[in-house]
Amino acid sequence: MEDLGRIHQIIVPFFGHNMTFNLEVMIMTWIVIFSLLCFGFLAAKNKRLLPGPLQVVGELFVVHLFALTEDALGEELSKKYAPLICALFMFLLLSNWLGIIPHLEEPTKDLNTPLSFGIMGFFIAHYAGIRAKGLKTYLKGYCEPMFIMAPLNVIGELAKVISISFRLFGNIMGGAIIILVVSYLTYSIITPPFLNAFFGAFVGTIQAFVFTMLTVVYIAVQVH
Amino acid sequence: MAYDIQTWVSVAAFTGGGMAMGFGAIGAAIGEGYTAASANEAIGRNPGQSGDIFKSMLVGQAIAESASIFALVIALMLLFTKYPSHILSVPVLLGAGLCMGLGAIGSGVGSGFPAGAACQGMARQPAMSGRLTTNMLIGSAVCQTPAIFSLVVSFILLFTDFSANPVSPTWAAILGAGISSGFGAIGSGLGGGLVAQASCEGISRQPLTVTPVTNVMLLGQAVTQTTAIYALLVSFILMFKSFPATDAIAPPMALLAAGICMGIGAIGPAVGEGFAGQGAVAWIARNEKYIADLTRSMLVGQAVAESTGIYSLVIALVLIFVV
Repeated sequence: MEDLGRIHQIIVPFFGHNMTFNLEVMIMTWIVIFSLLCFGFLAAKNKRLLPGPLQVVGELFVVHLFALTEDALGEELSKKYAPLICALFMFLLLSNWLGIIPHLEEPTKDLNTPLSFGIMGFFIAHYAGIRAKGLKTYLKGYCEPMFIMAPLNVIGELAKVISISFRLFGNIMGGAIIILVVSYLTYSIITPPFLNAFFGAFVGTIQAFVFTMLTVVYIAVQVH
Repeated sequence: MAYDIQTWVSVAAFTGGGMAMGFGAIGAAIGEGYTAASANEAIGRNPGQSGDIFKSMLVGQAIAESASIFALVIALMLLFTKYPSHILSVPVLLGAGLCMGLGAIGSGVGSGFPAGAACQGMARQPAMSGRLTTNMLIGSAVCQTPAIFSLVVSFILLFTDFSANPVSPTWAAILGAGISSGFGAIGSGLGGGLVAQASCEGISRQPLTVTPVTNVMLLGQAVTQTTAIYALLVSFILMFKSFPATDAIAPPMALLAAGICMGIGAIGPAVGEGFAGQGAVAWIARNEKYIADLTRSMLVGQAVAESTGIYSLVIALVLIFVV
């Protein structure tokens, strides 16, 4: 039970600072990136009117996520942001599913991954807001309903980053811990395929979708 | 009369186990009763569908019960496992029991709502029973998330070795972590259930709106869980931050107060956000054209309702890091 919540790290001294690398997470992230690149390449290689199986899956992702973005952002902005949303969803989905395969772990289990996506979404949303409304109107939004409320509005915006990233982290890491403890308690006799199906496939899909949806909505709230 | 540490550890294990199952029994029973009441009403309205409705009632009740089963697992682990006779085992056992027991209340009640609404929806719109069951399963499973957070905190408390930490502030941090996640899960489970109930009801009323209603339901439930996530964050900080040893009484009390503050402060905002989501989802089903406006006003309303939860978070963080 010692590896409960432990992360394998490699610490490299660098000009007097210690640089910490979470080796496992980095490898898993690269696995996800490479699989997605291969998938994208293979799905788009032979584009035909009668699509092959990979092309169907690719089109499914693209069509649905473009429609989702268009609903929230409107036609013009969705052209700009939908590719990003597509990539985000596919990356998170594959990351959350990766833990189902034995000896592989979800990159989203490490707080660094969800937090960086959360911060990315935060900056994109606020950039989009400033672009759409202009700096003056954007800043005015913080002083509603009164000027005194500005610090609380800023804290509320920062809390969004915390909530979006901890939601993903808590669900995925929670699932991993429950699987670990249950297999320890039952001496792995009841091997956890059901738990993996629930926490990996089901919760993973829902959380990837929720994260993507919230990123879109945060952009939409800033733009309008 | 002085007792040795082992006695106190056993006392804590029994107390913790009792609290885990005692509190844990509250929520699921209420939720299941609500489901059964709705199923009876639905069968009375449309007796021809009684087979389907009965099945979906049982499935819904089984999901609502899972929160109580988590509590049962923790209670059994507390009763039948031997724990190291270290003074810090006492707060660990109490905290784990309290965390899982309180955490099961909200999810148990909440999961009952979508199951009841699905039963009534089947009576109203028998052709949609497949879609309704799927939607109910997704909604109820997401309702369980706060209970799963509590289970995770209980597991971490039980399986982490705290014996190297100084006794004085650590006991309060451990107890505070359990209380924070436990109370924090109540509101989110309940609120998420309200949102899922509205979506099941909406689908049966307007079957064509399945996709947008399910999407907005997930969004509303996710935002409803925000305060439970703050409570989880406070628990994690309390469990994994190392606090300097102290003999004074103020620092441990500040840590305990941080847990209580975040835990209780998370209940109200989550229920309120649940109401906001319920209204929005119910009316998206009736008036799909204005989905963008409804979603936006739901999110803004939820953000305002959440602000009190953010105040609790700020005070809890001040108590941990400043006091």
